[in-house]
Amino acid sequence: MKKDNRQKGFILLCILPTLIIFSIFIVYPVTQVFFKSLFSSSGFGSGDEYVGFANFIELFKDDVFLKSLKNTGFLMLVVPVITLLLSLIFASMLSFGELKEKHLYRTIFFFPSILSFVVIGILWAFIYHPNMGIVNEIMTAIGLDQFALTWLGNKNTVLWAIALVMVWQAVGYYMVMYLAGMDSIPKELYEAASIDGATGFQQFIKITIPMLWEIIRITIIFSINGVLNISFVLVTVMTSGGPNNSSQVALTYMYQQAFVNANFGYAMAIAVVVFVIAIILAFISNKLTEQETE
Amino acid sequence: MKSFVSKMTLLLAVLTLVLAGCGGDKKSDGEAKDKGDSKLEGELELAVFEGGYGGKYWEQLAEKFEAEYPDTEISITSNPDIGELIRPEIIAGNPPDLVYLNQTDPSGVTQGLIKEHGLTDLSDVFEGDALDDDKPLKDKVLPGVLDSVYMSPYDDGKVYLAPYNYNVMGLWYNKTLFDEKDIETPETWDDFFALNDTAKDNDRALFTYQGTDPGYLEEILIPAVYSLGGEEALDQMLNYDPEFWKSDIAIEALDIFEKIASADNGLMNGTVGLDHMQSQTSFVKGDAMFIPNGSWFEGEMEGAPMEDGFEFGFLGIPNFDGEDQQLALNSIEQMYIPAEADNPELAKEFLRFMYTEDSIKLNGEITKAPMAIDGASDLVEESLSESSYNVFNAVESDMYSISGNFAPVPKGVNVEPRDTLFDQAASVMNKEMTTEQWADKMYDVYKQVQEKME
Repeated sequence: MKKDNRQKGFILLCILPTLIIFSIFIVYPVTQVFFKSLFSSSGFGSGDEYVGFANFIELFKDDVFLKSLKNTGFLMLVVPVITLLLSLIFASMLSFGELKEKHLYRTIFFFPSILSFVVIGILWAFIYHPNMGIVNEIMTAIGLDQFALTWLGNKNTVLWAIALVMVWQAVGYYMVMYLAGMDSIPKELYEAASIDGATGFQQFIKITIPMLWEIIRITIIFSINGVLNISFVLVTVMTSGGPNNSSQVALTYMYQQAFVNANFGYAMAIAVVVFVIAIILAFISNKLTEQETE
Repeated sequence: MKSFVSKMTLLLAVLTLVLAGCGGDKKSDGEAKDKGDSKLEGELELAVFEGGYGGKYWEQLAEKFEAEYPDTEISITSNPDIGELIRPEIIAGNPPDLVYLNQTDPSGVTQGLIKEHGLTDLSDVFEGDALDDDKPLKDKVLPGVLDSVYMSPYDDGKVYLAPYNYNVMGLWYNKTLFDEKDIETPETWDDFFALNDTAKDNDRALFTYQGTDPGYLEEILIPAVYSLGGEEALDQMLNYDPEFWKSDIAIEALDIFEKIASADNGLMNGTVGLDHMQSQTSFVKGDAMFIPNGSWFEGEMEGAPMEDGFEFGFLGIPNFDGEDQQLALNSIEQMYIPAEADNPELAKEFLRFMYTEDSIKLNGEITKAPMAIDGASDLVEESLSESSYNVFNAVESDMYSISGNFAPVPKGVNVEPRDTLFDQAASVMNKEMTTEQWADKMYDVYKQVQEKME
């Protein structure tokens, strides 16, 4: 009995540092977010006024916020699907294809992942430049003048333009994760399948994907969360949310409200909504993919 | 089961301790409040925004101040992101004694302090005599500046922010082009639109602006409203009177932008998607005839590729009937003493010191800009770049420069009317919105603000 207690004490001692750090840097700020969202506050400490759920009520009447939520949703839907699909295709091409330049492609595809997001944003702002950007130069050169659009200045194209950058940035990263997974799939499975007459596509669907499923599950959650973070940087650098909030995402709007307009409480209400949505999404995607493994 | 409960209890206890520890930090800020004696000694913490004017002026000024007041010591923090640096200090109740940071800074610190009424009243500094002159300091400041919403944000006759450099903003053009081709600079908006053909002949669009930073358009809108409806209409717009947007003045002023959008060759292709550097670069390369910007323009574009012979020319803002003066909008860099500063008396003395003739000259030499002091642009003439000297000179002779700034929104208003106003410009420029829809939208926004004002 005494020994048991001592052991418990030791365990407690071991987890104490982590627990303290976790509490200070995660639990405390998060509870503060929930708490502050109930106040009308400028974020400077004094003069906070308790307003209950008024911030939330106003939030759902705020058309800029609703637009930003819609845009975030669009990116969270479109970007992970395209990114993961492309990563899978590229990974299997590199893993099973008979390409001589395999290693070169591997490096090139991974390259965007080591660039900072700010650099990527500036780079693409110039690629999309309406008058001297490479996209429009090519369009004009091949005679598609009418498609040389102001990609970042048009409400119909701006989100797709940003989504493309996010896909470009992330494909290489997930591809490398899938490549590592594919290398660990036993070759015998493929040999047996091809003896039975399975085509390459059938092998991909019936062997590669099921064997990779655990990795795919993780990458789905990574990629949805990544969208939240990366979209903030790219939108800030490339469009500042413009034109007329057409590319505003939830986090850029939150930042603007908290630190530019000094509506700190209101911004925390946005943070709470984003937090809840992120948790729900992670939960849903986890549940959905879990069922398919059984 | 019992051990599980006891484990959880322990965990909770630890958590509570940790949380209580975090909360405890905040309470200690009361001690920081014991303000220093009002004698002119001690340490002055100066926090300055390091932007286009750099940080050198403050170092030299501090040296001179210390030489004059031997018992003092000045520590300077100068940084482009000074707002982010001082925010935690302000929240912890230990702010710097004197801050130079504009309300429009993206950190929102100054904006927040104004909203929060967190500034020291500076009226006595300006009511009192200047250090090197026998007249009150307020008589040395450019007329109208101290009463403007920049310096007296609450409309109660008290000055809370001190003016530093001033900027003049309006439309710019390529002077070489206009001289060589004998093009007359436009006096009215009709003249302006009539120049569209000339612009086309010279292979450029009539107009461009800082697409993703549409706030620059206020340099056109505020003078235009003033030109149409005078001080009264301007006050309505800047103080959130919804009825303003139902007036013909509002429609006519906003119509400038719709006209630019609908004119063939009016707006430079792609403007809406460009940031301020991209659009300004296009302008100096000769892709557009006019662009709005401030007196800092030449310095800002130093080293950018320009079309042959490009020379900065300042037009100001056209008027509507051809009889009024040309207009320009001015803005003033802001300094202030946070309410909880340790040494406000010393900070005030430093401000007085800053407004002496020697300091103004020193500032001109280093920052190449005049302070908002009467006659400052002549005092520092040799130090200014040619284009900015011309700007200040024009404003002091034949142009009328307006101080116009949107009033701080009352607490509890979560829309920023100024942002909403200029965000819509992109939709108008993309021909997705008409002037009337724009005005209606602003009417609704102003209504929301007004509800909270009572």
